[in-house]
Amino acid sequence: MVEPKLDIERHIKYWQRCLKTLLPTQYTSTDSNRIMLGFFILSALDILGAGPDTFPEKQRKNIRDWVLKCQHPNGGFCGSPNHRFPDSYYVDVGHGKQQMDPASLPATFFAILSLSFVGSFEQIRRDDCLKWLKTLQRDDGSFGEIVTQDGVIEGGRDMRPCYLAAGVRWMLRGDTPLSEKEKGDDIDLEKMVDYIRSGQTYDGGISESFQHEPHAGYSCCAISALSIINRLPHSPSLSGTEPQGLTNIPETIRWLVSRQVGYTVEKGEDEEETKTPAPPVLQGVYENQPSAPTPSLQDEDSVGFNGRCNKKVDTCYAYWVTASLDILGQDKAQLLNTKASRRFLLEHTQHRIGGFGKAPGDPPDIYHSNLGLATLAIMKEPGLKPFDSALCVTKQQKEIIGRLREAALSG
Amino acid sequence: MGKYEGDPEWDDVVPIPQDDGEGALAQIAYTDEYAEAMGYLRAVMAAKEHSERVLDLTEHIISMNAAHYTVWLYRASTIFALNADVEQELSWVNDVALDNQKNYQIWHHRQLLVDHLYPSISSDPNAIRKFAESEVDFMTQMFDEDAKNYHVWSYRQYLVRKLNLFTEAELKSIETLLRIDVRNNSAWSHRFYVVFSDPKYSTPGSHATEYDPKIPDEIIDREIEFSKAATFEAPQNQSPWNYLRGVLRKGGRKLSSQECFAGEFVKIPENGEEDIRSSHALDFLADVWAEEGKVEKADEALRLLGDKYDRIRKNYWDWRRGTLKEEGITKGLAKVELAH
Repeated sequence: MVEPKLDIERHIKYWQRCLKTLLPTQYTSTDSNRIMLGFFILSALDILGAGPDTFPEKQRKNIRDWVLKCQHPNGGFCGSPNHRFPDSYYVDVGHGKQQMDPASLPATFFAILSLSFVGSFEQIRRDDCLKWLKTLQRDDGSFGEIVTQDGVIEGGRDMRPCYLAAGVRWMLRGDTPLSEKEKGDDIDLEKMVDYIRSGQTYDGGISESFQHEPHAGYSCCAISALSIINRLPHSPSLSGTEPQGLTNIPETIRWLVSRQVGYTVEKGEDEEETKTPAPPVLQGVYENQPSAPTPSLQDEDSVGFNGRCNKKVDTCYAYWVTASLDILGQDKAQLLNTKASRRFLLEHTQHRIGGFGKAPGDPPDIYHSNLGLATLAIMKEPGLKPFDSALCVTKQQKEIIGRLREAALSG
Repeated sequence: MGKYEGDPEWDDVVPIPQDDGEGALAQIAYTDEYAEAMGYLRAVMAAKEHSERVLDLTEHIISMNAAHYTVWLYRASTIFALNADVEQELSWVNDVALDNQKNYQIWHHRQLLVDHLYPSISSDPNAIRKFAESEVDFMTQMFDEDAKNYHVWSYRQYLVRKLNLFTEAELKSIETLLRIDVRNNSAWSHRFYVVFSDPKYSTPGSHATEYDPKIPDEIIDREIEFSKAATFEAPQNQSPWNYLRGVLRKGGRKLSSQECFAGEFVKIPENGEEDIRSSHALDFLADVWAEEGKVEKADEALRLLGDKYDRIRKNYWDWRRGTLKEEGITKGLAKVELAH
């Protein structure tokens, strides 16, 4: 059979539309995460080889200015200009400035990544940002997303902020050993590792805590965070004394590969009709499962991913699972059914205007379109740049970030 | 003229407009209604105003952008500043939650409200019981829409901790959900938590992946039986298989203690066709046989999985076969060395 092809030009067109035209009103519900949307747009174009390095200088400057406009005067970034007050409102209150609307950790992570595409780190208030980052950490090692003027840490208690904090720290500090003084100003890595380790669940996945259900997104954030701070078992700099973040890698791998779900379209179904999973005869399919497994997978079938046991397939979980295994190293992503996963993305969630939808038949959106593309990049799709799963950017971009950090530090 | 601009009640407020500058990223086609309301929100936040009209304004913004990460906090601080009726707020939040299934902020808001309310009922067991019941009723409504809603389950666990709901009633309510859908993995996870983190008998802080010597044998036995019964109902459902592995680890028991049970679903005769009713049983037995050093049998189980019963994961099963052989060789060499 003929394998489907990724139409690179069509995807570039989709992303240029996202870059240049107003997003539809339905995106209002993501207004507080505009920095994240902006990053996904820049990064997707970079994966496709049409990134901000190809933009005119004027456009690069505008993007840079816009991201910096979201920087909070006390360090960190806000998620959107809607959270940023005019400068005159941030009056001095003795211990820093009036907080107004606080900076957010996700916004800070995505803002720094976005700046890396369009210029330099020199205008990032690095020391303020790192000091603020430390104030987001709770006693149990977890991180919140914001901290209020009164010092109350708010936001979820799960693996996402750990990942974002590890990422911000790496982009601004790097991974060279710190002096004693710098260590005092740093986040507590030991506590963070303890928190992540305690999020492992009885079935091998990772959850927000061991009391909850494991989730592919949280698992990937946990594994990425450990990778960034060199606490996975194969980390080159891991000495014998530092505890690892995961206690049972084979169980984690079993949980990750179990997220693959067979997906077939019923024969004779019109292409434009909504596609429903065919008689679900394979392991992991949620509805109307027969009592016995049937040896039935044909070579033309495709494989999607769910985020939790017995849930439905969704494009973003293809990313969270593939990236997790990729980070676990030694070609672990090859344990997946790459060919059938690729077929699922290209034939079922890729949209004819470019981009990817959440589920088969869905219109494309920025989040799923970026992660669909990133999944293919991890699977080494021809025409896409090699990808760094832990930082969620191309390998080339990761190197650039390292250089920008050094330049800002020596400047 | 906008809703607020034309309203005499808001005459005294000068809205703070949003400054996007040139060439902004991810610009959204805001409605005039949204842009105006956000301008007024910034103005009241700058003035630190906590008033009835702020409650109306925050409600309006939440209806358009429920993921706004500070409007919820500002609303909570306004509720507390006004000493407003928390129960009335909870019932409003119920409606918002039912309309916004995927929103996280609502549940954080709810926790702030409950944390605020709790001291007023904490000394009255009856009041706590009544409150717990009404919360469980609301969660049941949420579960009717989506019984695997992650945020609702997070809140459920918070409530179990807060109100010490390690009770028979809690276990019964999970069983009800599993009777409706035995594949509801969220309910399985919650059961594991309620059973193995019960402060009456568990070791405080014992992780889900650890043996806990303090768990009574009868609890381990009960949970093994629970997962077995569910497995007979749907052998190809992975949830109870995972649960069984988790229970055995908690109880410090070997997988091989359940070899007979897993064997109910796997018949591999010396000659003739095998009869496999669950790929998870085959996986379980592969681990049992590896545990017992029966490498060839384990390898055959893994081969059947990759070639026949779980072909979508063939690469994985082949990898397991590889590690099984490596471990077998290592163990074999160790034996040879000992013999010398």
